[in-house]
Amino acid sequence: MSWTGNPGSSKITLGLILRLSPLMLPFVVLFCGGVFLTVCQSLGIFTPLRHTGGLVDAYAVILSDPSFFASAGFSFGVALASAAGSVTAATFLAYRVWQLPNALAGAALVYKIPLILPHIAVAFVVLIFWSQSGILSSLAWHLGLIQSMPDFPNVLYSGWGLGMILAYTLKGTPFAMLLILALLVRFDVRQIQTAAMLGASKRRIFFSIVLPRLAPAMHTSFIILFLYSFGAFDIPYILSESRPGMLSLHVFDLYFKHDLARRPEAMAILTLMFCFAVLFIIAYSRTVTHLETGVRKL
Amino acid sequence: MKHASHTFVLVLLFSLFALPAAILLLVGLAPGWRFPDLWPAQFSFTGIQFLIIHGDQIVSSLASSFLYSLATVFVTLGMCLTPAAVFARNRFAGKRLLEALLLTPALVPPMTFAMGLHMVFIRLSLADTVVGVVLILAMFSYPYMFRALVAGFQTLGQDYRTCARNLGAGPVAVFWQVELPLLVPAMIAGGSVVFLVAFSEYFLVFLMGGGTVPSFTGFLMPLLASSNRSLAAILTLIFLLLPIFLFFVIDGSLMRSYRKKGMV
Repeated sequence: MSWTGNPGSSKITLGLILRLSPLMLPFVVLFCGGVFLTVCQSLGIFTPLRHTGGLVDAYAVILSDPSFFASAGFSFGVALASAAGSVTAATFLAYRVWQLPNALAGAALVYKIPLILPHIAVAFVVLIFWSQSGILSSLAWHLGLIQSMPDFPNVLYSGWGLGMILAYTLKGTPFAMLLILALLVRFDVRQIQTAAMLGASKRRIFFSIVLPRLAPAMHTSFIILFLYSFGAFDIPYILSESRPGMLSLHVFDLYFKHDLARRPEAMAILTLMFCFAVLFIIAYSRTVTHLETGVRKL
Repeated sequence: MKHASHTFVLVLLFSLFALPAAILLLVGLAPGWRFPDLWPAQFSFTGIQFLIIHGDQIVSSLASSFLYSLATVFVTLGMCLTPAAVFARNRFAGKRLLEALLLTPALVPPMTFAMGLHMVFIRLSLADTVVGVVLILAMFSYPYMFRALVAGFQTLGQDYRTCARNLGAGPVAVFWQVELPLLVPAMIAGGSVVFLVAFSEYFLVFLMGGGTVPSFTGFLMPLLASSNRSLAAILTLIFLLLPIFLFFVIDGSLMRSYRKKGMV
């Protein structure tokens, strides 16, 4: 920042702490406290039912269960595919929207529709489009691609989580577009014009000039979308297939559908998810900074 | 050539993002729409009739969702206003780390802290209350408000403040009469995201509201899985229209008030 407020404000004063407290108090009490209680309950402390086993019993149960690793790997895969798909599609679409002449730019605002729709509604849209009796199946029948309903590929129950990936991508693409367009608005078009005059191809312009500038927004949206898809509940609740399920559904079942004695197991999964999320954020941002130190800034 | 590629982009955008809404409208008006019809064979108003019969329930769950989402916006605003000013203006040790920490609640799966808190909320009788729902939603969504306000304070700069102070305004007057009105656009930017996050959340409301706090998502959820898709489609459309309507109203009234003050 070019200006820093009151000179000499680099010390942590009582006034500073007071002004930070409206946020710090809830953060410490509700967020840190919530995570702390999750960890405690995973160890069998403060559980509604007195825990009689050892401290790490729940972890032992979970880590010896192959279905946990199947779920974790599955959640990771769904999150990775949908976040990568969203960011790729959003980068392409945002760049093209940015190039639209002003007269057409207003119409492009339709991209915000899935941003408003809640996740469960987006899951419903995927259901209407992609089920075997859905719109795309009907379209395929009219085009003569299929003869009957079962001929349409069973996208939603393929065992690969395709339905969830589609829903997360549909919901995530506009979100990433929003962040990327916010950067593009400040992008100097003369850089592109200069490159074009010097003979750069369209592809070269996109990959060497535009893409590096969009990278910060792409990274931010990737982290947000990846972790959201990894741990969220709403979309899997509608579109999940039986096995392997998303981790969040696994937790939900343990928490609500099994007896209280299994509460530490649910909390242990949550603790592992939390640790994974934090490690992911740190590892990802480290990698990005590491990669970018080698790149010459314009 | 140029023209064709623009058309292509627009067609792509519409078929990806607007077509679903159009299809929802058709599904809503044609409960009997079956494979392999590309266009419904017949339309009926049974979905709308159902809507009218259950009108009370729909309106009350919509109102409840609307109110707790609005409350969440104001709670996050109260939480973030002075800390955002500090983050935009002061330099202090550990600022970057603290900023990163303060943004984590929007990144880590909300289940991980919400389920730990659930038990305490039950003990404190906060579970199954609107207060509990608002607290947990605010905890998950405040980073959007925080980011928007920090950006708002940064664009505001120091000049207005200096000028007002030179003219003899005290710190409180500067904050309430000068800075706060100028921050309204940033508040609306952050507030709309917070509102949408809160309004469309299903799980956290289900967990903390326990079914006693009515919510539109909670009302919609069982219908999405039912065989009558037409009602679910109509309700989803209401979901789409209410926020759009709200943003138009806010945008319009903001412009009017700015015009009145001669700021535009």
